[in-house]
Amino acid sequence: MAEERVIDGRGLMPPEPMELTLTALDTLPDGEELTLLLYCEPHPLYGILRQNGYTHRSQTRPDGTVEIHIRKV
Amino acid sequence: MQPGLSFEQAPPISVPFRFFLTAPLFGMAAGLLLLWQGPAALASRWTSAALALTHLLAVGFMLQAMCGALLQMLPVAAGANIWQPRRVTQFTHAGLTVGTLLLVAGFLFETAWFFRIAVPFMTVSLGAFALIVLIALFRTPAQGPTIIALRIAVFGLIVTITLGATLASSFGWQLALPLTEITHVHAAWGLGGWSLLLVAGVAYLVVPMFQLTPPYPAWLTRSFSVTLFFLLAAWSITWLPLQRPDGFQVALACAAALLAVVFAAVTLRLQAQRRRKVIEPTLLFWRVAMASLVVAASAVIVQQLNPGTEDYAGTPFLLGVLLMVGVFMPVISGMLYKIMPFLNWMHLQKIGRPGLVVPNMRQMIPEPRMMMQFRLHLAALALLLGAVPLPWLVYPGGVALIASCIWLEWNLVVATRNFARFSRELEERLAQEQAPSS
Repeated sequence: MAEERVIDGRGLMPPEPMELTLTALDTLPDGEELTLLLYCEPHPLYGILRQNGYTHRSQTRPDGTVEIHIRKV
Repeated sequence: MQPGLSFEQAPPISVPFRFFLTAPLFGMAAGLLLLWQGPAALASRWTSAALALTHLLAVGFMLQAMCGALLQMLPVAAGANIWQPRRVTQFTHAGLTVGTLLLVAGFLFETAWFFRIAVPFMTVSLGAFALIVLIALFRTPAQGPTIIALRIAVFGLIVTITLGATLASSFGWQLALPLTEITHVHAAWGLGGWSLLLVAGVAYLVVPMFQLTPPYPAWLTRSFSVTLFFLLAAWSITWLPLQRPDGFQVALACAAALLAVVFAAVTLRLQAQRRRKVIEPTLLFWRVAMASLVVAASAVIVQQLNPGTEDYAGTPFLLGVLLMVGVFMPVISGMLYKIMPFLNWMHLQKIGRPGLVVPNMRQMIPEPRMMMQFRLHLAALALLLGAVPLPWLVYPGGVALIASCIWLEWNLVVATRNFARFSRELEERLAQEQAPSS
């Protein structure tokens, strides 16, 4: 079973979460998912993902954390 | 990190930078005007010098920087860009810069034709900008309190421009209008409906993001911008019969000021709860700004409840210094120290390729330089506040304001030059790597 790949960017200063996410996408096998946790919707990242063939869906937890699930199209 | 991914086509970095690099120049001009006028600048809010000074800071410094910052906030907060960003911003920047100079010249020299030219310059350039930004804000699928606050803020800007153009037209064409009443409403929308709501909308996003605080409480973000908007709108309507302030008008003004105190207090509390107890320039600028907002809004409440304070000539100067030098200039300085390094970093990513290390944000403007500007600005604020009881302090206050703005300008120039240098170095490294294979 594939390991769960999670980046918790909630305690990190921008642009560190974006740097970590882009680095992690480099080694993300097709069909697997990367989860990013933030306190906001990362619109600049969404633009980069769209342009590079990634899909994402996000959901907000009750504590305000936004969970972003990313995978290759 | 590796920048092998392609980035969306964003406007060139020079588009927002032109606003940021122009703003401190108007701040310097405001300091020079203080030195020229001396204690006379404090005499009344209605003198030519006081009106010129107010607009050098409110339009020349604040609005200039806020337009640039808003352009940058759209992709971050809304995932949207404005229509024709390059052309619109060139047009807005030119119109705003020339319009501000004409407006200030009109006040200083009391010459009607300066106002006659300033009105179309400011109205067309700023009006078009506000409408285009508002359309982008309504078209975005993004939701949330920041988007709502930004929409209302831009509407507030449109109200401010409309009333400002009306006032300037009355100077240009000698129209008989109730100038005092319109000026009160114009100032309230400019400082509260536009500037404070823009700061609030941006704060919901950037305070937790850059200062690593918990998110703003939902009860505040849900209600603050909408409530402030309705209070301002109702307060503005009470001016229509052109009568002396009545109890309802005072109650609305006090409620709006109290709301501002709540926003500032919540922000200060969130900053106290931040996860990394690092003291850095942006945090300090925001703390000073929020503390000034508490004092300024409390002073408004005291003034409203004690009508006699209006007769004291120092009151408008005190409020003006607190709000412009104490609240908005520090917020803007603190934000520029995040926005410009972030833009540098984003644009450098586009040049790179996998394996090529791009300089990080901290390398764009040295932190000790930002701290130095913070100290200078704090000195300017303290001295100008001191000038209320001791008017001669306006001279060292003016010098400190000029020094702070020169330092800010130089720091922003350093960021711009570092972007050019890092871009060149990255391109040279890429060229060297490609050379053997070609």
